[in-house]
Amino acid sequence: MSNNAQKPISKRLAELDVAIEWFYGEDFSLDQALDKYQAAVKLAQDIDQDLAKMQNQVEVIADFTKA
Amino acid sequence: MKPEIKFTVSEFVEVCNQSLEYAFTGIIIEGEVASFKINQGKWVFFDLKDADSSVNCFMPLDYLTVPITDGMKVQIRATAKLTRWGKFSLTVRNILPLGEGNIKKSFELLKKKLTDEGLFDSSKKRPLPQDLTKVGVISSTAAAGYIDFLKILSNRWGGLQISTINTQVQGLQAAEQIIQALERFNQQAKVEVIAILRGGGSADDLAVFNDEKLVRAIAASRIPVLTGIGHEIDESLADLAADVRASTPSNAAERLTPDRRAVALQLKSIPKRLSTRILEQVSLLRGQNQSRISDLGHELKHRFEQARERLQSQLKILNSLNPETILRQGYAIISSKASPGDSKAVTSFQTGDPIEITTLSQTITAEVKYVKQRSKTNF
Repeated sequence: MSNNAQKPISKRLAELDVAIEWFYGEDFSLDQALDKYQAAVKLAQDIDQDLAKMQNQVEVIADFTKA
Repeated sequence: MKPEIKFTVSEFVEVCNQSLEYAFTGIIIEGEVASFKINQGKWVFFDLKDADSSVNCFMPLDYLTVPITDGMKVQIRATAKLTRWGKFSLTVRNILPLGEGNIKKSFELLKKKLTDEGLFDSSKKRPLPQDLTKVGVISSTAAAGYIDFLKILSNRWGGLQISTINTQVQGLQAAEQIIQALERFNQQAKVEVIAILRGGGSADDLAVFNDEKLVRAIAASRIPVLTGIGHEIDESLADLAADVRASTPSNAAERLTPDRRAVALQLKSIPKRLSTRILEQVSLLRGQNQSRISDLGHELKHRFEQARERLQSQLKILNSLNPETILRQGYAIISSKASPGDSKAVTSFQTGDPIEITTLSQTITAEVKYVKQRSKTNF
């Protein structure tokens, strides 16, 4: 698992938002567009895969009905 | 035959109380309230009665967490006691109104009181935290609402640590347990939001969520509280005190997290969205380049026109200075025959100097016959 994959999904989604905004910003350049495109698509695919695998952990930490 | 026992009065009262305590570890009684009164701002007295019987009830005012009035049907949790004066009474630990009408009346009275205190002010509401990772849940782990909440939460999102405190969510002890759970989560300060959940039920079942102490505990929670209690149409004072009210436990799950299916759809659309954007930019840049080429062509043409006009103007000047042009106007050019090409010689002829006269059509050789100096001011 890459370092990127260990980050919380929410942070990676925020990074993806920034990556996408670049395509709509003033810094956009065709020279960099291909690399940026490939990086954004890879990040989106990684998040999508991890999103499907994510599970919640449920723990009953106390039972006050028995008090 | 059992032997007779001899007591003092105090011993007898003590034995009676021990017997009552042994026989009735917990008593829950339903009845109608009569002669309700509060003494010295500390103690509550009332009679609990039905068609045939009546029993005295007593409780500290602090335990009274819902407004009670005479004629209300209520449920109490109490211990039985024989007082030093031989009077039998119930010491009430909890009291809840019963029946939709009584609950509604109690709800409205307490709602007005707490609203006047500003407990439900919208300015006190905090938004639910974004990007949740730790959720505290207070619910009955056996309740369908809790199961629905976990199921929907699991379908919608993952990676959450859900810490649950199991409590009763109806009945006389529920409010106290939920308050303890709120205190526990606030003391531990490990969760980012607390969800209080209970599925649908009758007005009696949901009455606990109008308990004054519970409502105040929710309003005082340092951690934002989300309620998902009952059905869409049910509104409790706990809902009003919470930072966010979800209509049901399932809706509470929806309020807490985004939907991973919707996010996945957005993610899958990204390649097309970005490639479309790049193509738009390529098209835009091509258009800009064509525009620049066109502008350049216009600029070159303009410069060329300017240069041609300037050249024609200069040619005109040059043409006007051409000696042939002067000869055509009827003038003649005189030059010194003795010193051809000497410009000084032309301006200082002497009598007898040989000269050459050039006209448009002839070249004449001649001799100076007479010279008279002219004044320069003649021109």
